[in-house]
Parts: sequence; structure tokens; C-alpha cells
Amino acid sequence: MTMPYETILIVVLVLPFAGSCLAAFLQSNARNAEAWLAGAISLICLMLLVVSYPHIVNGGVIRHTVEWVPELGLNFYLRMDGFAWVLAALIASIGFLVVLYARYYLSPQDPVPRFFSFLLAFMGAMLGIVLSGNLIQLVFFWELTSLFSFLLIGYWYQTAQARDGARMALIVTSAGGFCLFAGILILGHIVGSYDLDRVLASGDKIRAHSFYIPALVLILLGALTKSAQFPFHFWLPQAMAAPTPVSAYLHSATMVKGGVFLLVRLWPALGGTNEWLWLVGSAGLISFILGAFIALFQQDMKGLLAYSTISHLGLITLLIGLDSPLAQVAAIFHLMNHATFKASLFMAAGIIDHETGTRDLRRLSGLRRFMPITATLAMVAAAAMAGVPLLNGFLSKEMFFAQTIETHDNSLLDQALPYIVTMASMFTVAYSLRFIAEVFFGPPPRELSRTPHEPPFLMRFPVGLLVLACLLVGIVPGLTIGPLLRTALHAVLGDAIPTYSLAIWHGLTPEFLMSLVAISGGVAIYLTFRSYLLVAEGPPLLRYIQGQRIFDRVLVAVSWQFARRLEELLGTRRLQPQLQLLFCAALLVGLAPMFAHGIEFGGEARTSFNVAFALIWAIGCACALAAAYQGKFHRFAALIFVGGAGLVTCVSFVWLAAPDLALTQLVVETVTTVLLLLGLRWLPKRIEKFPAADPPERDSSWRRFRDIGIATAFGAGLGALAYAVMTRAEPDSIARFFVENAYALGGGTNIVNVILVDFRAFDTFGEITVLGIVALTVYALLRRFRPAAESISVPEQQHSQDLYDEAQPTREKGDTLRSAMTIPRLMMALLFPVICTTAIFLLLRGHDLPGGGFVAGITMAVAFILQYVARGTTWTEEHLRILPVHWMGAGLLITACVGAAAWLFERPFLSSSFSYLEVPWIGSIPLASALLFDIGVFALVVGATVLMLIAIAHQTVRSHRTPSSRASAASPTAEVG
Amino acid sequence: MSAAGELSALPAVLTAVFLVSGAAVTLVGALGLLRLRTFYERVHAPTLGTTLGTAFIAIASMIYFSALGTGPVLHELLIIVLVITTTPIGLMILVNAALFRDKLENDGALQRHAKDGIADPLLDKGAPQEPRAE
Repeated sequence: MTMPYETILIVVLVLPFAGSCLAAFLQSNARNAEAWLAGAISLICLMLLVVSYPHIVNGGVIRHTVEWVPELGLNFYLRMDGFAWVLAALIASIGFLVVLYARYYLSPQDPVPRFFSFLLAFMGAMLGIVLSGNLIQLVFFWELTSLFSFLLIGYWYQTAQARDGARMALIVTSAGGFCLFAGILILGHIVGSYDLDRVLASGDKIRAHSFYIPALVLILLGALTKSAQFPFHFWLPQAMAAPTPVSAYLHSATMVKGGVFLLVRLWPALGGTNEWLWLVGSAGLISFILGAFIALFQQDMKGLLAYSTISHLGLITLLIGLDSPLAQVAAIFHLMNHATFKASLFMAAGIIDHETGTRDLRRLSGLRRFMPITATLAMVAAAAMAGVPLLNGFLSKEMFFAQTIETHDNSLLDQALPYIVTMASMFTVAYSLRFIAEVFFGPPPRELSRTPHEPPFLMRFPVGLLVLACLLVGIVPGLTIGPLLRTALHAVLGDAIPTYSLAIWHGLTPEFLMSLVAISGGVAIYLTFRSYLLVAEGPPLLRYIQGQRIFDRVLVAVSWQFARRLEELLGTRRLQPQLQLLFCAALLVGLAPMFAHGIEFGGEARTSFNVAFALIWAIGCACALAAAYQGKFHRFAALIFVGGAGLVTCVSFVWLAAPDLALTQLVVETVTTVLLLLGLRWLPKRIEKFPAADPPERDSSWRRFRDIGIATAFGAGLGALAYAVMTRAEPDSIARFFVENAYALGGGTNIVNVILVDFRAFDTFGEITVLGIVALTVYALLRRFRPAAESISVPEQQHSQDLYDEAQPTREKGDTLRSAMTIPRLMMALLFPVICTTAIFLLLRGHDLPGGGFVAGITMAVAFILQYVARGTTWTEEHLRILPVHWMGAGLLITACVGAAAWLFERPFLSSSFSYLEVPWIGSIPLASALLFDIGVFALVVGATVLMLIAIAHQTVRSHRTPSSRASAASPTAEVG
Repeated sequence: MSAAGELSALPAVLTAVFLVSGAAVTLVGALGLLRLRTFYERVHAPTLGTTLGTAFIAIASMIYFSALGTGPVLHELLIIVLVITTTPIGLMILVNAALFRDKLENDGALQRHAKDGIADPLLDKGAPQEPRAE
């Protein structure tokens, strides 16, 4: 194969993800196809890794960098050294075996595409972790593994156990991942780079830095949660709700190894301090002891294996914490060994579960007779787990014992360490023995629903292969694992590899004695407590302290009780307190810098006083105040006052020579007033007489003064700010550029419009998109809107009109309205074309004179609104199909196409051009591509405004949708007329 | 406004006369709204402003800008036409509502059916509704 090594890295990483996508689309019963696909992918990955082995064998590193954001030091950087290779090979090979096993494990009813798709994606994410050369990238893949672990644990999501386990695993590991991310950011800050090579090379700088402790603690949180180390170990037993292939792959062989992998990886950079020794070492030691102890009391096979995994990972973590090169050798060695024997044990447990229908150690017994081969395999694997000589577990365990004898900081704990670990190893032996003895020995099982027998050969095959590996490594370590271990160590420790021996017989050393004591002690413990273990409900004392219980309680407290209390404290469904809080907060934020730095007003020349203008403003102010005064009980009057204030604003714009603004303000005022009028219908009426105040009403005058105070302060603050800005000399902003270049570059003399459709067309494009979204949101909200009970009924005016009409023999319902509206209707209908013409006029002249797409759009909407008012919703929609959503879509499409058309001329998006067009009789007319853009804006504004109008108008139609209600359509009319 | 000095005497005087009379007529209408008693009386007063007042002011504007510029400026005719055609719409709707209210008040049986009196809100809101923004 002549593939360059860099390409191999990419292929190894991408292939599982590609396979995952492919697997997701296969048929739900395609078990064989899925297995072939996943198996082939993991085999190809493994082959590619094998091919690239020569390149990394002597401290070589394969690198591949793709630039991503080089300015920020962020590159997509793949890096494979010997250690990463070993892990990657482990992931790919065990992945292959698990796929093979899962093919027979999953029942035909299970949706296989989902399983294999997630499994492959997980494999890709795991490979991503070990192959990442950039730490941020590593965190990304780290979180991906958490996610896929969640999805795989929850594979049988119909059971509550799977859902809870998946959720707990996700919360714990992704919270840890978050901490890891923070820690990595600190690390990157210390080093000045996220490049793994550079981080590993700056160990001294990191250890000397004042942020060393926070970075270490955060990274440890990430690693310990992932590897299920104390005190975060509780999620792993819960994750056993996953299908057994998942447990074998993720929760024993690979994912939980992620944490220890990271610790070994970063050991050169972070290790070598007392903090490391104590934090990592104690977490490992406690997990080791606790896991082994609790495992002894498990009645569920998978539970036993899960706690055993915690214990063994604790052993590895302890070794990493011991902080010496030889300890790292032992850690890496045991990491590999554990993957082989634990995966095979999980698979064996899965086979037993598959064949007998139970995983309960109390119900299983004597299976040796029914499945002798599986029994033999499981026994060998369990012996490796217990550390029996001639098996791989023995070798790494012996190394481990040797390391614990070494002196580290010579504290009391350090001196006691050999005794403690020997004691814990006794438990390891005891639970291994218990697992084997309860399942395979003793009388034949009685309470089983079916007779167990050997599984298909291919289901047993992965177990056999792994057990073979255990044996080979255990008997001829130098020939099998030796070179690989050396390659991995070369990558971690550099050239200074300490001397170590992989021989199976070192003579009568202390560590050999420790092994002997552990084995004999373990057997003794099992034999002594056998009958007690069968009836014990969990470990003594510890059964009351259950991690998952505490976790659940914390979760409930945080996500439910605490949140509820906070909501009660801060949340409200009433608008007034919300606004009050909002305004007070804004006021504080605005006042804080004013107090800190003071506020000063500029010295620019004031506008000279003008009586007429002052008078107009006096009216405007009076209107605004009156609106506030009337707002509570006379909403209608308040609305008219608001309109008055708006008109004064229009006049001000005209006065200050801003006709564009004035025009826009005028039409916006008009439409707003009409829409608000329509909305008034749904507000509750004033309650004239309150029922006797119970509980006694608080003093409302105090409340009003408070509100007036807030409002005044807010208004005064805004006014002061505006004044301070406007009295200052204008900074040399971009405004001058617009004024000077509007015609030269944009081809229009209406600067505002040129800015909108040309200079800042991209802004406008975004804004109209937002407008469209807002309109759709209003529509969506109102579609489900249910009015308050008191405003559901027909309005009073309409009600009495109907009563009157029905009382008269010559009239029918709705006649009063019809006769009152006859002439107005006619006039409004006649005005329709007039307003439309005005709208088009405004649109066309917009580029040079006041006008433009926005104003034109609202004007057009006014024409439609008027028809709704005149004829009512039903009639109008029968005679005039407006289709506002189409208008909006067309508007967005037109603007986007006009923008994209610039690409045809090799200009940037939304570049405009203009020229003059000779039209017979009319003469030369200016023609800018910006006009097309403006037409798009126009269409969108029409659509959005009309959509909101329709959303409100349809409320009336819907709420009156009772039999024979012809008057329903006229309801908006009654409101506005 | 600044160009007013360039105006010759006749257009200036004409403009002033029309402007002042338009404003005066509007003021009279506003005073009428204030002084007159019943709804039916009051409803007529503001129309003075919206018809004659607007027309006078528009004419003043036409004279002024025509005299200033090169040719006749007739845009204001549109304003006159539109105001004159649209104002009666509001008037008609208001008066119809008032008429119905009166009918209701005279009809005791109907009044008992309609829950509360509907006269008050109409009376309150009738007046300020008239000078409409449109």
C-alpha cells in the first residue's frame, strides 16, 4: 500500500464516521449487512494502523495538520505516536470483535442500524481522542464519546433503567468534559498553545505557573469522571443497562480508558508534583479498594464486572499517580491487559445472559456442564483478572506491587501502601472466584426458563481470541506484548525508558509473595463468606451511601426544587413586574457608569428657540402624558393620544428636514394604531366594582408613585443621555462617506435609501429576514392563542346590534352594521387602487427622493388593512387572495437573487450597479439593481405586515365560529369604525 | 421658510391671506368642538377644519411654491381631494353609532337585554376620535 502515512491518519479517523452515516440508512432488519459494514470498517482501520506501525516504532510520530484558524493557534492536527497507536489498535481490534459479537447478541427485533451507526460513530470519536494533536480538538472528541455513550446506553430506551443510566452517564461525563475543557483552556493559556507537542515540552513552565493547581484539578475532574473514579464512579454500574457489547466495548475496554489515557498523556506535562501524587493517587487507591470491595457483594454479573472495572481503573490511576516512569510502564501495561480480559468477561457474561435469560449470580449455577467451552474461556479470563500466574493480569499486577513497595514521599500512607493494596487484591481474587464458582460450578440451575447451551461459534469466537491474547501475553510476554509496550513507552517517556523485565519468573521477590498472599487470602475470604455473600443485600455500611442516590437527590434539588424556588422568587407571569424588573435593571446599568465617571454635556451650539416648534412639542408631550394617564382604564383614549404623540414626532422630522423619516413614521404610526385597535378587542374590560378587598388591598397610591418614579427616572436618564450625545461635536464617522458617495457609488440621491439598499444592503437583508421571522412567530403564537374567558364573547356593541336587528321583523342580523358601513365601504374600496398606486410610486422614486421599499410596503399593507376593515375578514379573503407568506418568500428570494447575481459579474455578494435606460416617450430613466433589491424589501414588508394583521383578524373569526354567525366577519369593523 | 424674502408682493399677500384664513377656519372648528353641547352638533364643527381649512392652506401652499419655483405646483390638489373624500367616512361611522345608541336608549326592552348601558363609552370616546391620523 503506497498511501502516505498522513493520509492514513485521516482515513482512519473519517472512515468510522462515514460508516456510521451509511449504517444509519440501511434497513432496520439488515443485521448481516450492518455487521459486515462495521466489521469491515474496523478491520480496515486496524490494517491501516498495522501498515503504519513501522513509522512510529522508534519514537516516530506521524503528523497531519489542516489549517483551520491559524490566527488563533487552532489547527486540525492529527498526531500518532506509539502510545496513540497502541490505543488506536486496541480500539479498532476490540471494536471488530465487539461488532462480531453484537451480530449474534442483538435480537432480530432490535433496530440494528441505530446500534451500529452509534457504535461506529463512537469508534470514530474514540480514535479522534487518541489521535488528536490539538487539545481543543481532543476535548471535542471527548464530548462526542460522552454523547455516543449516552445514546448507546439508552439503546433500549423503552426501559426506565436504560434511560436513567444513560442520563446519569451523560450528565456526569459531560460535566467532567466541561471541566476538562476549562482546564485545557487554562493549560493553553499557560503554554500559549494547544499543540500537544508544545504542551508536553513545557512541563516545567506549567508546574511553576500559579494556575497549575486549577488547571490540574479541572483536568483531573474530566479524567476521573470519564474513567469512573471515586467519587464519580457511580455512573458506571448504572450504565450496565446498555446492551452487553456496549458494556464490553465502551465501559470496559475503551471509553473509560479515555480518562487514564489522558492522565498518561499529560503526565509529562502535569505530573511530578505532590499535588499530582496525592490527588491522582488517592482517587485511584480509593477506587481500587472500594470497587473491589463492592464488587464482591454484587449479585448481578454485569454489576460485579462494572465495579471490578472501577477497581482496575483505580489500580491504573493509582499507578499513574505514583509518579515514576516505572509506574507508567505498569499503568500502560495493565491498561492493555485489562482491556483484553475484561472485554472477554463482559462478552462471556452476555453469552450467559443470552442463553439463560438471567444475570443473577444467585439463580445461576453449574453452567459448566451446559457450556463447557464458554466456561473454560471465562475461567481463564477471570483468572487473569485475579492475577493468577501465567496470565497477563499476573504480570502487570506484579509490576504494580513492585511499584507500591517503592518509597514515594515516605508518609504513613506510603509505608502502608503495600499492605493496603494486597488487602484490596484479596477482594479482587475473591470476586473473580465468586463469579466463576457461582456461575459455572455447583448443582445444575433449577429456576431457568430454558435449558442453556453453547452459543454459536462466531459469538464465542471474540471471547476465545481475547482469552488467547491473555494466555500468550501471560506465557511469552517478551515475544508478544514486549515490542508494543516498548513502542508505547517510547512515546510517553522519550528515550529515558527505565529498565523493566517482562519475565514471568523473577525469583522469590516481595511482589511475588504479595501475589501469593492475595490469591490465598482471596480464596479464604470467598470460602468463609460464601453463604453470607449470597444473601447479603449489598456491602455492609456502604450500602447506605449510594452514589447514584446522592446524585439523583442533587439532580432533583438543582433541576427541580431549586429551579422552582428561583422561579417563584424571580419569575412571574404578570407583565408589570417583569417590565419593572427590566427597567430597574436597565436603569442601574445605565446609572453605574454615570456615577463612576460622571456625565458631561458637550458645548455644541443649541438649536435656536422657535415658538411654533415648542408649541407642537407641548402638544406632543401633553399627548404622551395623557396616554399614560388614560392607559389604565381608557385604553382606547390612550391609544388615540399615543397616535397624537406619534404625529408630533412626524412633524418634528419634517421640521428637522428628514422627510424620509417623517414618511416612514407616518405610515408606521397608522399601521401600529390599527393593529393595536384590533388587539384591544382581546383585553379584559374594566372591573367596575371590586369584590370586597380580601385580603385587604395594599395601598395602591404607593405603587403608583413608585411606578411614576421608575418611569420618570428612566425617561430622564434617556433624555440626559441623548442630550449629552447631541451636544457633542460629531465624531468623524462614516456618515460623511455616505453623503459624499451616495450618488457617485450608489447612483441615488436619497442617501438614506442608498445606504439601506446599497452600502448596507447586507444589514438590510438580515433585517428583513428578522422581520419575516417575527411575523411568522407572531402568527405561530396567535394561532394557538386562546383569549381570556371574559373576552371570548361577542363585543357588547355587536351584541346589542344583533339583538336589535333580531327584534325588528323587517331586519336580519347584521343589518345595522351593513347600513352604517354602506358608503364607507364604497369609499374604502375605491381608495384601494389609489393607495396601491401611491405605494408603487413611493417604491419607484425611493432611490432618489423620499420613499423606498419599506415605506411602500407598509403603505401597500394599509391598502389591505382598509379592505379588511371595510368588508370584514371573511368577505375580503373570499374576494382577495393575499397569500402573505408567498409575498414574504418572494421578497427574500428576490433580495437573495439580486445579491447573488453580483457573483455572475464576479463581484462580491450584493454589489449593485446602475445605468440609464432609454424608454421611448418617457426618456432616459435611471435604473439601479438596487431597485430590484428594494422590490424584494417591499414584498417582504407587505407580507410580514399583512400576516400579522391576518393573525389578529382571524382570532375574531375563530372565536365566533359558531353555527350561522355571519356577523363574525364584521367584528374588526366594529372595532375600528 | 428662508426663501420667503425672495417672493414678490402679490403672491406673498395671497399666500398670507389663504394661510391665515385656513388657520382661522380650523380654529373656529376646534372652538366649536369645545363649545357645542350635543354630540350631533359637535360632530359638525371639526369638519370645518378638515374641509375648508385644509383647502385654504393647500391653496396657500400652491401659490407659495408656484411663485418660488419655475412652474405651477399642483400636488396639493391631491391632498384636497383625498381629505374631502375620506373625512366623511369617519363622520358617517360616528354618527351611525350615535344614532344606534339613541335608538337603543329609547327601546327599554332591548336595553334590558343588552347587559350594561353602552352609551357611556361611546360618549367618552366620540370626541377625540374625530381628528383622525389618516
